[in-house]
Amino acid sequence: MSLRGHHKSANVFVETASFLVVRLGRSYLALPADGVRGVLTPEEAGHEQAVTAAGTLYQPVDLAQLLSVVADVSGLEMRTVLYSNGHSHGAIRVEQVVGLTDVDRKTVLPLPLQFQCDERRWFGGMMLYQDLLVLIVNPSWALGELAEVIPMAARETARMVAVGGSC
Amino acid sequence: MVFSIGGMRLAARTEDVWGVSPWTESIPVPSRTPFVQAMLKRDHQVMPVYDLATRLSRTVQGDPLLCLVARHADGPMAICIDAAVPSLETVDAAAIRPNISGDIDTLGSVTIGGDDVAIVALQRLGRLG
Repeated sequence: MSLRGHHKSANVFVETASFLVVRLGRSYLALPADGVRGVLTPEEAGHEQAVTAAGTLYQPVDLAQLLSVVADVSGLEMRTVLYSNGHSHGAIRVEQVVGLTDVDRKTVLPLPLQFQCDERRWFGGMMLYQDLLVLIVNPSWALGELAEVIPMAARETARMVAVGGSC
Repeated sequence: MVFSIGGMRLAARTEDVWGVSPWTESIPVPSRTPFVQAMLKRDHQVMPVYDLATRLSRTVQGDPLLCLVARHADGPMAICIDAAVPSLETVDAAAIRPNISGDIDTLGSVTIGGDDVAIVALQRLGRLG
């Protein structure tokens, strides 16, 4: 469960947020660290899709498929991130765990408004980490808790089609 | 300003253009917004990329390619354009005709050097509604 680097802010009075930065394909993603329950190697995770740890069942979350990202999760650096927000629990397979970081919340940027479709639910924002552009994953969406929003999204899509555009 | 994408000449109002610089590799972003699926990082600024070449079914030409930064209504937006250096042209507003091709959102078209050139509406490029 080792991580490559933990970069802490020097100023403890600055409001910070902690993120686990991972890689899927060519995309760097950040998961809010307060939901991370563990990082497992392939040997630790086993061959089953779902993972049971400390008595909790973590259902598989195929983040690459959800994001339509081409990723190879068969490599040596592949890890399974056990993620929970208290009521939903997911086992998220990633190509690589890059590191854990604390960032000043003021440095977290919103997704540019030119991104207008589903990605606005996928990502809560973005940030720069070690010169990389990192997209902050919305955990509620990744854990499947935003299913009830889909009918509203469908209505919005229908409205967009009506005015000449479409997601 | 007259520029080209895949050899196709296009125009933009100078006030809709932030600048032109060499193109740098873009960063793919998972996205379902048509033609907005990458971002460009410049120093500490990050901006979305609009793939106008794909929108026009063209392939950008030349080396090094250039980056046109548009003053989009929602913030700066990068567009990869041909290596051919853009030129400035002054046209009479009365010479601008409505563009009926419908390929992209335009402010009309104008004849420049004998070519019919569409004036791209950079401020609202890619807006869905």
